[in-house]
Amino acid sequence: MMRLPKFRYYSPRTIADAVAIRSDAGPEGAYVAGGTDLYPNMKRRQQTPKVVVGLSRISELSRIGEQNGRLVLGAGLLLSNVENDPRVRAEYPGLAHAVSEISTPPLRNMGTIGGNLLLDTRCNYYDQNYEWRKAIDFCMKTDRQQICWVAPGSPKCLAVQSADTVPVLIAMGARAVLSSGREEREVAVEDLYRNDGIDYLRKRPEELLTEVVLPAANGWRASYRKLRRRGAFDFPVLSVGAAVWREDGKVTSARLVLGGVASAPVRLSAAEAVLAGRPLDKESIEAAAAAAAGPSRPMDNTDFSFLWRKEMTAKFVRSALADLV
Amino acid sequence: MGATEKSRAVGRNVPRKEGLDKVTGAAKYVDDLTFPGMLHGRTIRSTIAAGEIENIHLGFARKGFTIADCRDVPGRNVVALIELDQPCLAERRVRHFAEPILLLAHEDRERLLEAESLVAIDYREETPIYDPEKSDHCFKEIRIEKGDLARGFAEADVVVEGEYRVGLQEQLYIEPNGVIAVPENGGITVYGSLQCPYYVHRALRVLLGLSDDKVRVVQTETGGGFGGKEEYPSMIAGHAAILAWKSRRPVKLVYDRVEDMVATTKRHPGVIRHSTGVTRDGTLTAIKIDVLLDGGAYMTLSPVVLSRGVIHATGPYRCDHVRIQGRVVATNTPPNGAFRGFGAPQTQFAAEVHMERIAETLGIDSVRLREKNAFRPGDTTSTGQKLGRDTSALRVLREAVSRSDFRAKRRAYRGTNRGIGLALFFHGSGFTGGGEVKLASKASLELTETGARILVASTEIGQGTRTMHAQIVADTLGIPYDAVEVAAADTARVPDSGPTVASRTCMVVGKILERCAQEMRRELGGRSAQDYLAERGSLVVTKEYSGPDGLYWDDETYRGDAYGAFGWGCDVIEVERDPETWQIRPTRVTAVCEIGKAIHPVLARGQIEGGTAQAVGYALLEEVAMRDGRMANAQLTNYLVPTTLDTPEIDVTILENPYEHGPFGAKGVGEMPIDGPAPAIVNAIRSLGVDVRSIPATPERILEAPSLSASR
Repeated sequence: MMRLPKFRYYSPRTIADAVAIRSDAGPEGAYVAGGTDLYPNMKRRQQTPKVVVGLSRISELSRIGEQNGRLVLGAGLLLSNVENDPRVRAEYPGLAHAVSEISTPPLRNMGTIGGNLLLDTRCNYYDQNYEWRKAIDFCMKTDRQQICWVAPGSPKCLAVQSADTVPVLIAMGARAVLSSGREEREVAVEDLYRNDGIDYLRKRPEELLTEVVLPAANGWRASYRKLRRRGAFDFPVLSVGAAVWREDGKVTSARLVLGGVASAPVRLSAAEAVLAGRPLDKESIEAAAAAAAGPSRPMDNTDFSFLWRKEMTAKFVRSALADLV
Repeated sequence: MGATEKSRAVGRNVPRKEGLDKVTGAAKYVDDLTFPGMLHGRTIRSTIAAGEIENIHLGFARKGFTIADCRDVPGRNVVALIELDQPCLAERRVRHFAEPILLLAHEDRERLLEAESLVAIDYREETPIYDPEKSDHCFKEIRIEKGDLARGFAEADVVVEGEYRVGLQEQLYIEPNGVIAVPENGGITVYGSLQCPYYVHRALRVLLGLSDDKVRVVQTETGGGFGGKEEYPSMIAGHAAILAWKSRRPVKLVYDRVEDMVATTKRHPGVIRHSTGVTRDGTLTAIKIDVLLDGGAYMTLSPVVLSRGVIHATGPYRCDHVRIQGRVVATNTPPNGAFRGFGAPQTQFAAEVHMERIAETLGIDSVRLREKNAFRPGDTTSTGQKLGRDTSALRVLREAVSRSDFRAKRRAYRGTNRGIGLALFFHGSGFTGGGEVKLASKASLELTETGARILVASTEIGQGTRTMHAQIVADTLGIPYDAVEVAAADTARVPDSGPTVASRTCMVVGKILERCAQEMRRELGGRSAQDYLAERGSLVVTKEYSGPDGLYWDDETYRGDAYGAFGWGCDVIEVERDPETWQIRPTRVTAVCEIGKAIHPVLARGQIEGGTAQAVGYALLEEVAMRDGRMANAQLTNYLVPTTLDTPEIDVTILENPYEHGPFGAKGVGEMPIDGPAPAIVNAIRSLGVDVRSIPATPERILEAPSLSASR
């Protein structure tokens, strides 16, 4: 079997200690919560942190509670806790559904909501074991001197954003709380991501994601659709998060977000604009779906042919919106 | 001794011999074993598909390492199988990606991995060949000729032609390949996860230049094989043995999943072309089939895979005028090899999709077409084999059609997103042609104080060998099932019963055991085991294979009795199409198999369910992505096999039509269930109006395929 490289493991009990240890470790450090993403990557030597800061003993990170009508999810909550939380199920069914589509029940009993938000980007040339990558002389994501095998002329890495919760969280306008020990800042989940397969997060390495904040659940509904080949396990290779705000039967605002087609989630602004001021019906949905295909530019680096993923975009946007009618 | 009808074991679902150890975790697999002073081994493999090795730079301090290359082979540097063409370690020439070049061993796995990353090999690259149509090296060509093809085509009203393609498939046993080689008593002992102890035994003798008694091979509890541990263990055992020989210490070599998938054998991909003459009323008058299989870089078992493939290529249908031409050729990919079904799933996929297309062309009911042409007792196969009373093609077809309510559903599903398809198939039990006579397998039975002990080289790889053999022996001796023990498959203890392959373990080896037990019973003459042993000291009965009288085979002309018996099967599969994505989800399988006699009904059903699920993957999901000769999706995250959610409900019906020369009437069951589901699924997709002729039938392929009305 593949084995982990050696590393030093810390398990602090407070956020402040965690951030301090992570800061001291510098580029050699990494946070780990459930480990369902990091440890397999370490076994394949895609990442080889020397210091790993475990977060599972920080009880603050596993809280769930209300704050000014908003629901605050601790980043350390297990995905299965989020999926099965009565309030999430009742008020945020789109999110509950997205979580239930992640991998398998055993993985959801290990992985956390925070870990899912920060999931490493994925690529057919990167998610390989050491020997395989060595045989192609590695790629840009692990060795900056190298090319990107997906598009050898590309100046940046094209690894793909693959977290199931992200498109729907962005669509519903969720926010994230980042802690750097003494200070905290709250940002829109949307602003966490950068369209670069290597530097895919707009957060400082030592900043710890502590909370995911869901907006009050009134006046809008959200949905999630995911393309994968099997009924379980597989990462999304195209996904759609949709949220629609309505008043008097008309759409006042809509957010549509694609996952799995770029290094960051992709907002479908043109399609959103199409919906505004119209009732959510067959015609408006068709018009929005038609406007969605253009911005979907998947590359040939996941399962399914990229042309097929592109072709499916309009259909998936249509289905995600139809779920909200 | 003497058992009542009630205590009989055959036909009952007795507990598995090794079941308790497996469910309690007590069973020891090879990676659970350790030996004093043991080193860990690692294989350095080529990173190119074709060329010559120019230089090897080690780049690490050698202290503490055992390093071996082709010059360290004490005997002949080959993996001895059919042809001695495959080196155990590459010499100068490299013929495929992941070809083994260098071996390292060290006490510490970490150091081993570090060292591996520092090895650099320079090559002079050559242009590889990946397209079998462009290969200039043919491993084996087979031609089957029956009747007069020209006459057959002259009798036809219509000629239907078609080309069908099947892809690579990975066996994906749950336990990867692994062995431990231990130098002892001036020879070598290998413990390993394997199907065929005596194949490994022979390969090690040749590789190390040792005599019979200096090589010992012991099978450890094995987590599945599916053919993937038929020939490959001879390679990995050779590597561990070379390292153990050089270091004089035990060496463990266990692959991780990626290495196992990248380096070991797969099912042969192929292109099969049919040209069939048929009368308006649907009688087959001429069948011409061309089979091309991609063997990969070395011969391994390709000629035998081709042989089973061409013999099954017509499907279970009679026709007086047949010509089948088969070739298996070399390309620069890792060698393909044994995989459950062994050529028959490939050729019967083509045959059954083609049969559907004949019905579509003639505008007749495809069940009627099959009924009209299906083999009956007394018919002859393409090799001229006259079929016996145990020919059940019509019976399984009718049972499957009525159990599944096929006709009514086909009508009801028309114009919806549901489809239904059918495939009729057969599978020869045992080695092809004169294979069993050549093997001359032996089995032994030893009298113990409490009953009897089975001594065979047949391995338990999850399919139930020990249990089923013990049932046969218990009932033949007339003793309780629990009184029968099964010895480990250890070449120092058991005779060569031949390999555990080819659906032969029950029908062929089980029969030899039955004869051993019959003789033991006669010899005991009613005395108890204790009395006999007190009187005579010991009793071991050994018997050798002896085929039924009148079996005839000519390997030159490919005429004669290809198999002692055939199993018969029919699958009806219902599917649902996602109207948006064109993803196909099988919803229900009706599998009807005639296997002579189910010695253990639950295990037999397990074989059918497992083979069906594996074939669902073959049909819809499993695609080996080869990029520049290397497998690009060698992990479970991207080589996709069906999960529980992708596996339909499987309704299994076992029919019994006893084969007179099988133990208690049994024929083989292990491989047959993988022959039918792929064509049944593709035929179900065809019922949705899509002209699919290749697998895996992924949504991308289905969308590219023409609609049926357009292509007709």
